[in-house]
Amino acid sequence: MTPQKINLDLEELRKGGIIKQRQKDYFILRTRIPGGYLKAKLLSKFMQITDKYGKGYVHLSTRQCIEIPWVHIKDIGRLKRDLKKYGIFTGACGPRSRNIVACPGSSVCRFGFSDTQALALKLDKDFFGKDVPKKFKIGLSGCMNSCSKPQENDIGFMAQAEPKIDLNLCISCTLCAKTCERVCARAARPPAIVMGEDKKPIYRKEFCFFEGDCVRVCPVNAWKIKRSGYAAFLGGKVGRFPMFGFKIAEFLTEEEVFKITKKAIETYSKIAQKGQRFGEAINRIGIDEVKRQVLCKR
Amino acid sequence: MQEIKSDYLLDLKGVPCPMNFVKTKLKLEEMKINEVLEVILDDGDPIQNVSSSVKEEGHKILKVEKINDHWGLFIRRQ
Repeated sequence: MTPQKINLDLEELRKGGIIKQRQKDYFILRTRIPGGYLKAKLLSKFMQITDKYGKGYVHLSTRQCIEIPWVHIKDIGRLKRDLKKYGIFTGACGPRSRNIVACPGSSVCRFGFSDTQALALKLDKDFFGKDVPKKFKIGLSGCMNSCSKPQENDIGFMAQAEPKIDLNLCISCTLCAKTCERVCARAARPPAIVMGEDKKPIYRKEFCFFEGDCVRVCPVNAWKIKRSGYAAFLGGKVGRFPMFGFKIAEFLTEEEVFKITKKAIETYSKIAQKGQRFGEAINRIGIDEVKRQVLCKR
Repeated sequence: MQEIKSDYLLDLKGVPCPMNFVKTKLKLEEMKINEVLEVILDDGDPIQNVSSSVKEEGHKILKVEKINDHWGLFIRRQ
């Protein structure tokens, strides 16, 4: 076998989430868990698999996946068949789009404005494992707490909510204004809610950053969500040259999230050189031009 | 607004989250429906968190008032 042939085989393996270990003939098998929710009964299958093919332990990756180290090269085929039989998805490494990371979202989290788990599963179907110049990461967060750190992904979506108030329900408790003032003070921003002379809150939309604490804190539900959607961040990464994603859009619908993700992968593949991350390519040609391409309707 | 009378008073000054909510919840569970509990809470996280948690549990908040450095939260048990 020539060295070139071996390289080709390794690259083929990486497509299926198989990573060469430091030790000769041993590999790490990366599985994939979109959004990080796993049916607990599958854990027993992971146990069986690691006992059979690995060393009885797994590694939890930073992208919410389970990795199985110490798989011998001769067992890879059988292991992959077992995973398929159990319904465990394989992951990706190398130059392709990766597992979609998400916070728990509104299905259980009291802060979440949107169901990031359901969205992660849907995005996984369309965008997992695509060939790209280096890698492509997608992250989703259901609120501004950013638990899943969407801003450090090649494309990240963070849910946001614009509030409105029904003054007829307001009991003048001042909690919304106090809470808003407290949050805004952390960034030395003027508060978006102040109390008026009539002891009712005044909403100043120009100062609002749509994080929704007023809606959560209001004891009588006078504050409600007027509209919610996703803010999109482009080009985030960590690694050698860390970048915080550029915010390119706000209040996107789920349908728009799909369109923009598709456009972002296309744009990235077009503008980046091989081995270059999206953020690096954006720095080279400018965020305005990339934003124009990604948000282009056609 | 008419004066709200409470049936019980729970002073939770200095009690941190989430114990302040747990104590509030346990007290509410002992009470009869429509009885009113007044809880005294610290400023900041305690008043913000306890009021939103009580709301999520389905109880009715009648009044929230600032009393010097603390807050009084009047809750009708549902």
